[in-house]
Amino acid sequence: MSAVGAVGALFGRDIRAVVRSRSQLYSSMFTPLLFLIFLGNGVSEGLEPANLKAGNFTAYLVAGVVVMTSVFSATFSSASYYKDRDSGMLRMLLSSPHSARTVLFGKSLAGVCIGVVQASVVLLLAAPFVEFEWQYGLVGGLLVAGATIVLLNVMLSGLAQALASRVETMQGFHLVMNLALFPLLFFSGAFFPVDNLPPWLEVMARINPFSYAVDALELAAYADGTAGFFGLAIDFAVMGALAVGVYALGLARTPRLTWSGK
Amino acid sequence: MSLHVIEATDIAFNYGDRRALAGLTLNVRAGSVFGLLGPNGSGKSTFVSLLAAMERPSTGQLSVFGQAPAKALRARVGTVFQENALDPLMTGAETLHLAGKLFGMSNAAIQEQSARRLGEFGLADRANDGVAKLSGGMRRRLEMCRALLHDPELLLLDEPTTGVDPDERRALWKALLDRGGGSRTILLATNDLAEADEVCDYVAFLEAGRAMATGTPAQLKQGLKRESVRVVWDSPTPEQLATIASWTGEDQVTADDGSVRITVDDASAFVPRLFALAPGAIRSIVIETASLEDAYFRHIARRGQSPAGTA
Repeated sequence: MSAVGAVGALFGRDIRAVVRSRSQLYSSMFTPLLFLIFLGNGVSEGLEPANLKAGNFTAYLVAGVVVMTSVFSATFSSASYYKDRDSGMLRMLLSSPHSARTVLFGKSLAGVCIGVVQASVVLLLAAPFVEFEWQYGLVGGLLVAGATIVLLNVMLSGLAQALASRVETMQGFHLVMNLALFPLLFFSGAFFPVDNLPPWLEVMARINPFSYAVDALELAAYADGTAGFFGLAIDFAVMGALAVGVYALGLARTPRLTWSGK
Repeated sequence: MSLHVIEATDIAFNYGDRRALAGLTLNVRAGSVFGLLGPNGSGKSTFVSLLAAMERPSTGQLSVFGQAPAKALRARVGTVFQENALDPLMTGAETLHLAGKLFGMSNAAIQEQSARRLGEFGLADRANDGVAKLSGGMRRRLEMCRALLHDPELLLLDEPTTGVDPDERRALWKALLDRGGGSRTILLATNDLAEADEVCDYVAFLEAGRAMATGTPAQLKQGLKRESVRVVWDSPTPEQLATIASWTGEDQVTADDGSVRITVDDASAFVPRLFALAPGAIRSIVIETASLEDAYFRHIARRGQSPAGTA
């Protein structure tokens, strides 16, 4: 039995569910945009940061806010796993002739798609209000940004799936995601440059997956030379490896299938 | 081709240290409605989960359509779970479309079969309503539509009419049993003895993971005393119950909260003796012919417990 139709149907169903759930659709983008507007403008006006590549703090925050949007989106999308488990839908899906992996693949594909769209919308909403330099040209810059957003969301979807299949409650899942991912956001260059940090913080930044995404987005949008903190080649090598590895881990950790659904 | 769709021989299964099935042996004839009856925890749902290839037996031989249960076999099986397995945010039509796609159906086939099943189960005009807006009975009927959409050869039903009112239940079974001349086999796991008596061709009484008796309802009732007397009685004393047991045999008397149930050969001879034994204490008497419930209590040696009332 072809899995393509099943994956397509599962993908469509989860996309439709998010589109219908307006709060989920907008909330992933709303908080990051608030950061961008209020924190960015406030810090830019009050502190006039001189050594930011982007020229002002609002423009500087865009890369981090795009990463933050992806984190929020992955967290919200994984809530559908818990909703399906609690409504009994997951049991129904898993009692079909398809493997649990096929079911999860269809669902996570929808999560990746939603995350990519939301992060891209945030980037596009910010573009008219900040001065992007697009040092590889507009098309080149958008391609780099788009590829970064896709890889980031694939990785986050895998991570969220791996956690969701093992953490019992949705509340616990959100707690783990926040505890694990927010510190990573802080030490990724999302909110402040990591170039001149104390050595221990710089180590944190270098072992942080988000640092590579922020670096690639900054390289795409700003004109500060092509070296960046790591450089595009390293950014994409690390993000590519993490996306493949973590997504595979997420699919490998399939939920245990039981008649009772517990 | 085998006469039996399901063949289980000496099946054992454990949940950790807890033994759920302990040597279960039974065969389910193709085209029949087979009831699995037993108290909660007797292994009914566990056995169904083995058939749906959700678990594997620890030991024993199990075959469905002549093969060991596997994921691919689920294409020939429809399942209705004890609890709803519906997304409240989807409509009935969307639910069936998703189910059809999971079972490899084309869009045209899904549309055709959805219309047919929704019509059979009286939901044609509710297809585009959200599941959240449907009543409990309608949701169960939608579950049936979903389970039957791909026209499965074997239908696994786990307490399918729980929470369904009598009218809905009757309509549901009418649609289920109208197999259009086909030979679908139905396996029903239930606590509802009256329902099983009405719809099942064969029945197995399960207890502690074993089949204690298997046969047609008529076969299982054979040898039972003919009439069941239900007596609403103010505080029968142990001595009075012992006296009745001496008349009928100890295993024919079941005392429950406020009532006593006695199976006898001849109620017309028994009732006057009863009034003589407990003058003024008896509030009402109902006399019934032997039912599957009588057979159940005979085979499942748990006095005073109905299947729904046990842990």
